[in-house]
Amino acid sequence: MTSPLPSAAPKIRVSWQAILTGLMYGFMYIPILILGFYSFNASRFSATWGGFSLRWYYSLLNDARILSALRDSLAVAFCAVAISAVLGTMMAVGLAKYSFPGKGLYRGISYLPLIIPDIAIAVATLVFLVTVGASLSLWTIIAAHIVFCLAYIAVVVSTRLTGLNPHLEEAALDLGATPAQAFIKVLLPELMPAILSGCLLAFVLSMDDLLIASFTAGGGANTLPMEIFSRVRTGVKPDINALSVLLILASGFLAFLSEYIRFKGNQRRLK
Amino acid sequence: MATTPLAESSAASGWQRRLANLIQPIVLLLPSGLWLTLLLVAPTLLILELSLIPGFRLGQPAGSYGLGNYLEVFQPVYLQVIGRSLGFAVGTTIVCLLLGFPVAYWIAIKAPKHWRNLLLVGFVLPLWTSSLLRAYAWITILRPSGLLNTVLELFGLPGQSWLNRSPAVLIGLTYSFLPYMVLILYASLEKLDRRLLEAAADLGATPQQSFWKITVPQTLPGIAAGGLLVFIASLGDFVVPELLGGASSMTVSRLIYNQFLGATRNWGLGSSFSMLLILAVSIAIALLLKYGDRSAARS
Amino acid sequence: MPPTNPRKFSRLSPSPRFSVARRRFLQTSAAAVSGIVLSNCARNLSNNTAPSAETSPTADGTTATDSKTLHVFSWANYTDDELLKNFKDQTGISVVVDTFDSNETMLAKMQAGGGRAYSIIFPSDYMVEQMIELNMLMPLDRSRLKGIDGLMPKWQNPVYDANNAHSVPAVWGTTGLIFDPQRVQEKVRGWDYVWNNVDSLSRRLTMINDVREVFGATLQYLGYSLNSTKPAEIEEAYNKLLEIKPAIAAFMTNGWEDQLASGDLQISMAYSQDAIVLMEESPNLQYIVPESGSSLWTDTMVIPKSAPNPDAAYEWINFMLEPENSAKLVERLKFATPNEAAFNRLSPEVKNNENLFPPQAILDKCEGIAPVPQDIADLYDRFWTQLTST
Repeated sequence: MTSPLPSAAPKIRVSWQAILTGLMYGFMYIPILILGFYSFNASRFSATWGGFSLRWYYSLLNDARILSALRDSLAVAFCAVAISAVLGTMMAVGLAKYSFPGKGLYRGISYLPLIIPDIAIAVATLVFLVTVGASLSLWTIIAAHIVFCLAYIAVVVSTRLTGLNPHLEEAALDLGATPAQAFIKVLLPELMPAILSGCLLAFVLSMDDLLIASFTAGGGANTLPMEIFSRVRTGVKPDINALSVLLILASGFLAFLSEYIRFKGNQRRLK
Repeated sequence: MATTPLAESSAASGWQRRLANLIQPIVLLLPSGLWLTLLLVAPTLLILELSLIPGFRLGQPAGSYGLGNYLEVFQPVYLQVIGRSLGFAVGTTIVCLLLGFPVAYWIAIKAPKHWRNLLLVGFVLPLWTSSLLRAYAWITILRPSGLLNTVLELFGLPGQSWLNRSPAVLIGLTYSFLPYMVLILYASLEKLDRRLLEAAADLGATPQQSFWKITVPQTLPGIAAGGLLVFIASLGDFVVPELLGGASSMTVSRLIYNQFLGATRNWGLGSSFSMLLILAVSIAIALLLKYGDRSAARS
Repeated sequence: MPPTNPRKFSRLSPSPRFSVARRRFLQTSAAAVSGIVLSNCARNLSNNTAPSAETSPTADGTTATDSKTLHVFSWANYTDDELLKNFKDQTGISVVVDTFDSNETMLAKMQAGGGRAYSIIFPSDYMVEQMIELNMLMPLDRSRLKGIDGLMPKWQNPVYDANNAHSVPAVWGTTGLIFDPQRVQEKVRGWDYVWNNVDSLSRRLTMINDVREVFGATLQYLGYSLNSTKPAEIEEAYNKLLEIKPAIAAFMTNGWEDQLASGDLQISMAYSQDAIVLMEESPNLQYIVPESGSSLWTDTMVIPKSAPNPDAAYEWINFMLEPENSAKLVERLKFATPNEAAFNRLSPEVKNNENLFPPQAILDKCEGIAPVPQDIADLYDRFWTQLTST
């Protein structure tokens, strides 16, 4: 009524779908909000409210175990993603450009990590590592994480490759570029958004992996999900709530970054 | 004079290109191929081998090959475990479909156009957070002194112990995988040809008729893909049943975990369950491919 | 292992069924790789009784090589920050503690090679015996142990490890029930209460995540030995346990504390040590040793053969044996010490805590868990898997 542009306001008929959708948004966010709420609870027990306090954030930041678990997790995720970015991109390009006998099998195997449940991969990797007598350490976690990071990055890059103009690289080659030059100067920039968003996805999955890390960890290596799992099972203090809030903020940032990259990629594509 | 060097260089590049065509695939594909063979294919075949050695335990002499582990799976108690896992997976798929479809439909069709992306991102944002912590959040809600009972008691309803029962697992699994369902259904609904709906309306079809005759058939591939994804993910999930299920909801993945890292260390039995899990997932994929082909052929 | 029946993995000629799989295996994987895998498969898996001594632990990961770091694999509640700080101040060695919740889980982790960073482990009595049999433990050099003579006579020559050749007793205790007297229906004297109140306990009972503890308590309740090796008795115990399955919320060794204190749980089966720690915070709780008896356990400190840092391990054991340190730790963490010299330094209040040091009448009803023959152990395992699966 007082609004200067009443007609500009979008008219949303409140249908039952809209109500259900609203409820589902609530369903998705209430658990997260509750964790956030309790992280400021001074009381040790989550059932009672003991007043506002930041003590769990202090206790978290002074918790050497959590910090070292975070360090191990980041080390695993960065190493695994860095190696997978190179290998996965090469694999996607190779599969897109060449046909050879056994290509179907190769492609099928490369999709397996996306399909086979984590527990089956974890168990198989453990048996394999014990069989070859490898001593478990941080490096065995990284080796096992590369398997699924590789697959995810390759899939994301593949979808980008199918929408790409195949003549660009040939044109570069015709103009006298070496295959390596053509790859680096022409193909790689085109693929960069896909590689980055694949890396982000792989990074988040690696940071979230409990099973594969549990089965391949050794030598004192302890990732963040392993630490959280053991705390949830053996009794938690509310500093876990504080940790959740910080992790959620961090992953919210990553999600934003990923969307931004996707958006930029699409823009580029449309140009 | 200007043409000769060009011809020369193109000849050289032709030779180079042939060599490159030979070497490039090897350079590009060998490293990841080796890695996948070493850390995925070989391990899975090892598990297959172990599953054929009845009662294999680490550190004990291995028995002879046999199908003992697979026969043991048919004991009533293990059939119950398999049935429960399948039940959780099917139940989660159905609930996700029932809840996810209206959400995806509203976002894709009803919501204001420039809000759609944001709404979708908002819905799948929780996927980016730790799955362990999301399951843990449900512990604080479902425990007897938790939020759910507090709310129920406000309305004068009797509270009860929700945790450590099957419904808790179903809630947790639905919570974990609903965003995937919405994401896939959205992609499918977004491509829906609106002109068909308009045409149907012009021809006097009720919204319900056009929903069942047009919207659903058009999005069937999306429904199948989303359902399959949720089915596979919830069938193999370990964290949710482990944290929310307590003593009453042993699933195949928890059983496998216990045979390898838990108290009972029967690697043979664990391997056979692992192979069965892979088999179940493969069957689901095969069904989708067959079904997907048929629906593609129809359209 | 009996020499009569060792059809080892490696000696098997591949069956026709398997050779198909193997041919496919050779096709899909590089020949060299599969050669390594398959030829070592047998030896490595079957003989991998323990992280063997000859594999160099220094080639391990990142943290294990550091001689100034000691990795300890322990039950929850056996160490605290102050202990680790005092130890570091005195020896310059920093300690990283990882915890396990059952002996079997610990063994699984060690056997799979995931425990090669640990130089000190805290297995219980019967597990010490099993690990000695599996050749996983380093014999202790008595000349490097100071204060081992200060142990109580009962622990000078324990049945599970003659003359403490491989292990040093660290903590002992009982297994019992902890509950809030205000929240239970009637006075709790033992397992009777649980079997009589399955309905009202519905998902409000936790039991220890350990096959021998759970079956042992049930066997005792039925009037049998905690260490029964008779299949009929074990099966009877299994059937008895099925009766209370609807009451069990979860099998957990730790992690029930918060839920018990807040009333989400009514009763938890717990080790005395963990119960006493919680009762310090929530004095309204009560711990009992069931009338039918319970297990009397000793947790020990051992050095695995794969220990990357045995020197620091000896320092740790000596530090824990030192009466002054030990007494202070007992005062703080409230566990029962087998160390006579430390016991004598305790305050009367702690000395007279009956949950900590139960009177002889209660101890007489208790039994220690003893290892059982392999076929019986397999039977226990099978029933445990079934119990946890229903």
